[in-house]
Amino acid sequence: MQEKENHVHYVRIDEDICNGCVLCMKACPTKAIRVLDDGVAHILGCCIECGNCIRACPKGAITSLTAGKDALKMSKHHIVPVSPVLYAQFGEDVMPNDILLSMRKAFDFVYDQSYTQELFNVATGLYIREHRNQNDGHWPVISPMCPVVNRLIAFRFPSLLKHILPFATPLEIVCREGKKWLSKKYGCQPEDIKVFPVTACPAKMTALSETLPDELSRIDGAIGINEIYDLIKSDIHEVQEPDEHIVLNYLSGVGIGWAMSGGEVAGLDAVRSLAVSGMKTTIRYLHAIEMGLLKDVDYVELRACREGCVGGAFAVTDKYAAKHSLNKLIRMFGSEKRVNFSYAQKLYREGWFNTTRNPTPLSDSASRLSIPEAIKREEDLEKLLKTLPRKECGVCGCPDCRTFAEDVIDGRTSVDKCIFMQP
Amino acid sequence: MKKEYEIKARDFVRAGKAAIGVQNILKSIGFEQDIIRRVSICAYESEMNVVMHGADGSLLLGVENKEIVLEVRDSGEGIEDIELALKEGYSTASEEHRDMGFGAGMGLPNMKKHSNVFEISSQKGNGTYLRMVFWVNGNRE
Repeated sequence: MQEKENHVHYVRIDEDICNGCVLCMKACPTKAIRVLDDGVAHILGCCIECGNCIRACPKGAITSLTAGKDALKMSKHHIVPVSPVLYAQFGEDVMPNDILLSMRKAFDFVYDQSYTQELFNVATGLYIREHRNQNDGHWPVISPMCPVVNRLIAFRFPSLLKHILPFATPLEIVCREGKKWLSKKYGCQPEDIKVFPVTACPAKMTALSETLPDELSRIDGAIGINEIYDLIKSDIHEVQEPDEHIVLNYLSGVGIGWAMSGGEVAGLDAVRSLAVSGMKTTIRYLHAIEMGLLKDVDYVELRACREGCVGGAFAVTDKYAAKHSLNKLIRMFGSEKRVNFSYAQKLYREGWFNTTRNPTPLSDSASRLSIPEAIKREEDLEKLLKTLPRKECGVCGCPDCRTFAEDVIDGRTSVDKCIFMQP
Repeated sequence: MKKEYEIKARDFVRAGKAAIGVQNILKSIGFEQDIIRRVSICAYESEMNVVMHGADGSLLLGVENKEIVLEVRDSGEGIEDIELALKEGYSTASEEHRDMGFGAGMGLPNMKKHSNVFEISSQKGNGTYLRMVFWVNGNRE
């Protein structure tokens, strides 16, 4: 496997707004942020686009680049796949259909993902049963859905890359199939159809634009829910003409549930599964999987955001209020899958779900040392750490004493930056 | 390099921290995934043994170019019949431990399987000492 470096990331810190407090640096799970001598925070290490810094910043100085709704004007035909998180943003009395119809006024082709999500559920079940029976594969299988988790695995748990279900995600499938389908309808090339998902996730942009060699499965830009919130909100109470469009009619409780932790595995039949959400807990479970502790589990749904995608950094409504609305919708739409099992099975046999994604480990600088050099570095680190105060204050511009020691050893900062070590 | 972790008996909340610490250090040095996996499985199993059966103890990680060594000691009740304890499926775990998902009798056999050298010494009433060696690159040179 090749290691990739210099990957693009989309989280940006506005230097004019940042006052150099340490909150984003402390919140970063990969310790990628430093406050440098210029008094502002910088992303220097491996960013997995989790959005923790965006949430932590009291000044609103941190954003994630999205295409924004203006990008749509540049393309003639576009598909806008909608994350079910959107349905929970306008209170419990606003129905998904109202939201989708309102969006169809502004956007070309709005697509609810329930149908693809149900197909994906069936295929996941088939994959697991087939591979358990043949006693091959790596257990448990990890859901490929959360782009932040995928990056976290690539960066800190590369041995688990082979656990990730080798399927295209429902969004990737919507991209691929939607482009083919609409290009036929409009008589243009599939590449001329652009895909802009509406999402609560700051990582959608990166995850789908850089890791897929398959051009058709890529998104062209993400639109944050916060960016179109007002547009829909102002429009939503007008009377809507019902639309005969099938995707609007396909909405299902199973698909809506995917917005919350546990929603994906809820649609898996007869599979021993676990749903875990939140960065800290996710990391703990990845350690456990690496130590072989969860071999009896078939499938693990991991979501970096607490409570799942409803906790995404671009969501407007708080996750707990959103869950209330979603649970009401699930009761209303029912929790049975309506997709045709034989059809899903046929697609599975044809390899329709297979991904062209080839996950590669991400690395930062330290791992380029030889083993003897790295052991020596670790010894020096331990020695230096023993002399540090372990107050974990962050005044030195590093998130904690251990990271500070690493930066000193690697020559990125000097010991006198620690206020306790000054003469 | 050497690094020592304290293990508190019956502290189920912090249990696993030593194994994760070992795992992180080995990753940071950049060993092969397979040896990291084997060492961390053994670190976890032995840590849990101390937490469940031992009085307080310690786990010592030693890293050299050619080998990784884990030494685990505790001052617990010790093992009466080591040969029996090494048999797969043999377990003295209590009902409580089984309820927590442990006690399948795979702990020591698992450690033996995943390490290149496995030494155990124990006397009833005098604690247990475990030493496991893992050869970097698979064989001893």
